[in-house]
Amino acid sequence: MTDSAGAHQSRKVPSQLSDTAQSIWGTLRAIASTRHGATGGAILLLMVLIALLAPLIAPYDPQSLTPSSLAPPSWTNPMGTDSIGRDIFSLVIYGTQTSLTIGLGAALGALLLGGTVGMLAGYFGGIVDTVLMRIAELFQTLPVIILVLFTVAFFGSSFWLLITAVILAIWPIEARLVYGQYLRLRNMSFVDAARVADMSAAHIMLRELLPNAIQPVIVQVALDASVAILIEAGLGFLGLSDPNVVSWGQLLYDAQSYMTVAWWMSVFPGAAICLAVAGLNLFADGLNEVVDPRTRGRKGGLQ
Amino acid sequence: MSSFQSQKPNMLLDVCNLKVHLAVDGKTVRAVDGVDFAVAPGEVVGIVGESGSGKSTLARAIIQLMPNVAIAELSGTIRFNDADLMTASGTVLRRLRRQNGFSMIFQDPLGYLNPTQKVGRQIAEALDNSDDNRVLALLHEVGLPKPHQVARSYPHELSGGMRQRVMIAIALASEPALLFADEPTTSLDATVQRQVLDTLRRLHKSRGMAIAIITHDLGVIAELCDRVYVMRGGKAVESGTVVDVFETPQHPYTAELIRLSTRHLQVAQQGAQRAAP
Amino acid sequence: MARFILMRLMHSIPLLIAIIALILLMLQLIPGDPVQAMVGDYPVSPAFREAITKQYHLDDPFPTRLLSYFTNLVQGDFGYSYQFQRPVLDLILTHAPRTILLTVTGFAFAIPVGILIGLISGTTPNRRTDHLVTTASLLVYAIPSFWLGQILVLGLSVKLGWFPTQGMQPMISRAQGFDWFLERVHYIALPALAFAVHEGTRFARIMRASVIDTLSQGYIMTARAKGLSRSSIIRKHVLRNSSLPLVTIAGYAFGTALGGAVLLETVFAWPGLGLLFVQAVRMRDNMTVVAVVIFAAIAIILINLIVDVLYALLDPRIRSRA
Repeated sequence: MTDSAGAHQSRKVPSQLSDTAQSIWGTLRAIASTRHGATGGAILLLMVLIALLAPLIAPYDPQSLTPSSLAPPSWTNPMGTDSIGRDIFSLVIYGTQTSLTIGLGAALGALLLGGTVGMLAGYFGGIVDTVLMRIAELFQTLPVIILVLFTVAFFGSSFWLLITAVILAIWPIEARLVYGQYLRLRNMSFVDAARVADMSAAHIMLRELLPNAIQPVIVQVALDASVAILIEAGLGFLGLSDPNVVSWGQLLYDAQSYMTVAWWMSVFPGAAICLAVAGLNLFADGLNEVVDPRTRGRKGGLQ
Repeated sequence: MSSFQSQKPNMLLDVCNLKVHLAVDGKTVRAVDGVDFAVAPGEVVGIVGESGSGKSTLARAIIQLMPNVAIAELSGTIRFNDADLMTASGTVLRRLRRQNGFSMIFQDPLGYLNPTQKVGRQIAEALDNSDDNRVLALLHEVGLPKPHQVARSYPHELSGGMRQRVMIAIALASEPALLFADEPTTSLDATVQRQVLDTLRRLHKSRGMAIAIITHDLGVIAELCDRVYVMRGGKAVESGTVVDVFETPQHPYTAELIRLSTRHLQVAQQGAQRAAP
Repeated sequence: MARFILMRLMHSIPLLIAIIALILLMLQLIPGDPVQAMVGDYPVSPAFREAITKQYHLDDPFPTRLLSYFTNLVQGDFGYSYQFQRPVLDLILTHAPRTILLTVTGFAFAIPVGILIGLISGTTPNRRTDHLVTTASLLVYAIPSFWLGQILVLGLSVKLGWFPTQGMQPMISRAQGFDWFLERVHYIALPALAFAVHEGTRFARIMRASVIDTLSQGYIMTARAKGLSRSSIIRKHVLRNSSLPLVTIAGYAFGTALGGAVLLETVFAWPGLGLLFVQAVRMRDNMTVVAVVIFAAIAIILINLIVDVLYALLDPRIRSRA
């Protein structure tokens, strides 16, 4: 009886890398079945489409100047124009590309860096663990935006540097999460079995452990993406993002000087940020519901 | 079963055809599936079964203390004295829990005591007019030495046996007519188990309250109980006096349970001998 | 307890030293002239360059410079801002209290409201109420506080004229006594509100999760078995035990509030540490940038230390172990 209970508790033993992909696919489908997950997923899908089809959707080139500046929303300019006559609707459409690139790039970068560090620390333990996790703590002490601003202050604000800075600021969260997962899984029986079978550490880490550790990590990737989008928007709002790239935050920076005369300059780009972040958060929430069985259904409430 | 029908007017607790079906991951689990159950005043009744047999759910459903789980079906009647617990309002249930009704002690005393409050306060809370002397008297009654010191302790500062005694003290505070004890000794060491069982027996004698003990341990049943219900898969497959059930089990499952625990059988025989005169 | 504090200190001090070393190392990596990098876009004469080089040991190897920086730091010397023409410590000490005022005011609203919302959402037997609150807080949490600030300014200041759009106090004021206080309340209301909405939703979400966790604990079952009323179970068992984890969260949030302040203070031209930091970054006043970051690191590590000790004092299980 104890045997069957034990077998039931340990997860199924995947041995192919494709299982990781399968696990991710299965998770995505499960998310779509949750209320928040489906809504968030739909928002994200919409945003991806807008970003891909931006040249078809946007009525103007984002940098081209229309004859009227500070024009309120109308049929020709659905979201109005800014102080130099650019069409805000087109700017917001193209800004989607920037935000999604930042979100995706920074989140994947943080996953790669943090995931590797967490994996190594969690699997090997001992001195590797101590050193790596102390470094993670080092980076985690300061607020993300302070770290990013600090980097931008010294090294400039090109788009790719910005992504790098965001990755450097957020990887520790990912590292800690993966670390925790690997600590939990490290001593499970199927890992022992793999060790006995003389498989390499890399094989065990990537093929045996990764598929089992991946789910909560995806939640964090979605949250990381929302943090990255907010940071980029914040930097743009401070006028410190890459001036060569259209960004929602920058539009808010421009709006700051025209608050009394052109509300549309602030409202629409800001709403776009909210939508993107809400989409990611809803998605992460749905994901969380799938991953953490304790949150499935509702166990709270007191009669 | 028919012999109990005639006794019904005298029963403290009388449960008829109780069904508790839970919804777990879209499937219906028949945790309790049509159980009749009764306790006379001052009687000690055992409910025995493996884990998952529905015995804990039965007890919790009776005293209306279900944890937060989705319930697919809940039906049957539960009479306690004159009250119908199935339809009783929150106020009626609270009054029964606070004064001369029923109370319950649980398997894991550490989890069932608030870790951030001193033990004395947690006992006082169960009293209608909480005064320190009553708290100390209760701690003394359950056999805790140095009640003053215990009352000032946090749960984590006490041993497992002491915690379970504190739980018993809390349960006794309302002067219950019926005490449910859900696996009261399972989480304890063997010697401490002994002491806690002795305490329960002593309290039963001194207070004359009825006790319903839920356990997987036939030894506990044999030692303390007058009657026993054997549960399996949500149904009470057999019931009767401990001596009858242990000596001439009617249901093959009961026979199997008894055969599997020869040690328990020996204890049971001792218990039967004790009960005989 | 003393041993616990000592152990946390032993953990914190190396962390602090490592952060400062890392920051100074980054200062090394700035491309171009080190003197120029230190003073930013401030014009540099040869005599000035020599003075700076000597003062900050720029010709010496990195460890020596690190040591000299630490020596200065311990003596309270955070360097000199050539842009503001003032010692950086002086700048920090005038700006920090304003950020603290804003943060504390925001938290004074965010924490009680967040706890209340989380408590209601977590304990309500009505699933729909809970769903509504959960979804609403998720959506509100997605609003960046700096944009919320802009919108509040648009609606309440520009359109309705109820609040000033910017600043901490009027340029000229003759208000006395209570009027003086009211005037300041007017100025702090919007930035504090924008801050509180964001933090409040965060506290509400964490509190709800914590409440649900508490409700699944055995001692809630015991409390119900005792026949306690719903309200006294919530008051005596749920509220306190669920709020405990929030002590830690609130402490960390307070420590990292400077991050949010950077953006929020810019929206409202609130002359705090965040605005100082942004100005310094824009003017490439690197001495100030470095000093503010180091100051923030010290403050955060100190606050985390205090929070851990406080938590240990509040939770009897940890208290007796420590």
